[in-house]
Amino acid sequence: MAKEAKFCPGCGYPVVLRFLHTILKDKKLDKKTALGLDIGCSLLAWDALPINTFQTHHGRVVPTMVGLNRAKPELLSIALVGDGGAYAIGLQSLLWAAMRNDPILVIVANNTVYAMTGGQMAPTTMIEQKTDTSPAGSDQPPVLGPELIRGLSPKAYLARAAVNDVKQLNEYLNKAIEACQLGNFALVEVLSFCPTNWRTKGAETNERVEEMKRVFKIGEF
Amino acid sequence: MKTNKKQFLTGAEVVVRACVDAGAKMMFGYPITPGTEILSHWIREAQSRLIGGQADKSLKYLQTEDEIAAGFCMCGAVMAGEKTFTATAGPGTVLMQDALSMADGMRLPVVVIVVQRGGPSSGTVIYSQQEVNLAIHGGNGEGLRLVYSPSNLTELYEYTRLAFNNAWKYNFPVIVLSDGFLMKTRQLVDLEKIKIKNIETEAIISENTQKNIRNIYTFEEELGEKLARDKKDFEKMAGEVIMSEVFCGRGQVETCPYEELVIAHGIVAGAAKEAVNALRLAPLAQGKKVGLFRPITLSPFPAKELNELAKQAKKIFVVESSMGQLRDLVKQNLEVAVEVSGLYKPAEGIESEEIVKLLNC
Amino acid sequence: MNLKILLSGDGGQGIQLMSDLVCRAAIQRGFFVSHIPNYGLEQRGGVSLAFIQISDSEIAYPKFSKPDITLILSHQAEERTAKFSITNSQFSVKDYEEILKKNNIPHQSYNMFFLGLLARMLGEKGVLQREKVFELLREKLEKKPNWEENKRAWELTKNIRY
Repeated sequence: MAKEAKFCPGCGYPVVLRFLHTILKDKKLDKKTALGLDIGCSLLAWDALPINTFQTHHGRVVPTMVGLNRAKPELLSIALVGDGGAYAIGLQSLLWAAMRNDPILVIVANNTVYAMTGGQMAPTTMIEQKTDTSPAGSDQPPVLGPELIRGLSPKAYLARAAVNDVKQLNEYLNKAIEACQLGNFALVEVLSFCPTNWRTKGAETNERVEEMKRVFKIGEF
Repeated sequence: MKTNKKQFLTGAEVVVRACVDAGAKMMFGYPITPGTEILSHWIREAQSRLIGGQADKSLKYLQTEDEIAAGFCMCGAVMAGEKTFTATAGPGTVLMQDALSMADGMRLPVVVIVVQRGGPSSGTVIYSQQEVNLAIHGGNGEGLRLVYSPSNLTELYEYTRLAFNNAWKYNFPVIVLSDGFLMKTRQLVDLEKIKIKNIETEAIISENTQKNIRNIYTFEEELGEKLARDKKDFEKMAGEVIMSEVFCGRGQVETCPYEELVIAHGIVAGAAKEAVNALRLAPLAQGKKVGLFRPITLSPFPAKELNELAKQAKKIFVVESSMGQLRDLVKQNLEVAVEVSGLYKPAEGIESEEIVKLLNC
Repeated sequence: MNLKILLSGDGGQGIQLMSDLVCRAAIQRGFFVSHIPNYGLEQRGGVSLAFIQISDSEIAYPKFSKPDITLILSHQAEERTAKFSITNSQFSVKDYEEILKKNNIPHQSYNMFFLGLLARMLGEKGVLQREKVFELLREKLEKKPNWEENKRAWELTKNIRY
């Protein structure tokens, strides 16, 4: 990465960004990519990579990249978004981009909370998980993004990886980019670390991601 | 009377013609009365357009899931350097503010055709002049937008053409503030007489750029500095784009003296012109010195022009199909102590006879 | 001259089509024309209005409340048009129902009767050629069902007193 962006120590985003950049360079796509950022912790990546990057609005990075891609299909359009941006405020546009099979890559960082605002309940918050706005524990099942989209978009490439298994993350991101290049919608959800809002340390953080994997199945869909 | 060059077109057909002639290549839209026909005509144009007998597939479109998506798709497309527009109305104009606010912040050259309908809420699907505030100040910022208010179909064409040129020249969002009457009206128009040279576009993001663009700032001073630069650019643009019209009867020079000044914009200015004409010609009103001032750009507002005229006026009458959105603009810009009253009919049309009656009271 | 004509009827009765034909015929005579439709929220069954102006100078404003000629093609439209100033030249379906029934004009062809009536009046005023309206009408409807009935309704207005 060009700069050490202002992510919290232990955050999962820099891991995703580092791998994404390496893949783009390997594929010689770093000059042919537009990276759009949602609002949330994703916005901190605005100057992280030496590739075209810009911030948008909360929940609106997907339609922005749909428009950009339709105007300039030669550029690989990537939307980096959190779970709230993707599955709550931006869900309508996410589903429609998938149903229309717009060839954009959506990378969703799932850390089960609204992190930038201080750890509120997210669409991915797990049952009984305590957050700032669910102090007694959430009573609602979390949104399973790739599983939800699967039935709506037959040609889409859909996968879920985790930041603590970078080999798999690397593989899925590679496949997702290839799917976009073939003209298909792609979404990779990445189970991500948020030690700040989880109030976890070291191994605990990793254990939390392992716990999440029991609810959010890793793999291709 | 020769009519061979004239065409019998609706407002929506005129808009599509203007966008095509301006070099627009993409429209993102969502159906909403009374603006839907712009989307449907654009799609038909895109599917049937021929150049030299060959199908021309250069016009693109997408009917999006809502106005929010239409607005953000437009933002993405202009970033890639494509002349792109959308059209919306009423509650759609409300939803469009999300994307327009991003365009405000990122200085994106977007063009939005607003077709005013009755409000608040779903209101009516017919007509109003109630989206003036929304057009200028609908974003969570300073209202640095260029807003045109055409009063007839020829102007609708002309200002839509100018909207694209000025969006791409100055990088501020441009709104063509029309209304349901103008959009549904069909009249004979001669568009060929309007000659405007198109401006070339430049992509913000391309293979040849490597930009890191932000839209949210860590420190308050950073945003303050950015806004000061934007304001400076806006004022520079104002000097070059502000438009207004003075009318005091057909065949009268604009500098004729008057005591009463009618102020109206958009289609109501058409009715006001008829009223001024009638008052000037009527034997009963002999000596009635009445004129019309009509801001064409509502933002930036022609304040200097207004104050020049207001100096000579004893009374100002604002006439509009809203409860005073134009009046508030006038008052904000008025530096002369002169009585302001008016005729305010939210979401209803105003005919020239009513304006004549108002001035004869 | 600025002649203001208000057409009204039920949605689906062809009010806007009638307006279109009248406008095109007036354009052929070199006049400025303006046409603006107005209807309710429903796609069918509401009242449909058309405001037409035919003028020898440019038309500044499309709406008006004092029509010179008003045509009312349905009972429902009677109520909707009540607020517009009554002129001598008001023609309502209620005044012609007897003649229409006597001549076996089916309900769906009533509009052609009123179009014929309007074209005749406007022809006499010199703002269009009655035959031109019929020519445009034939282009549009000749191949559609009920053409014979439509033609008969139109022809009925040739010699009618109004």
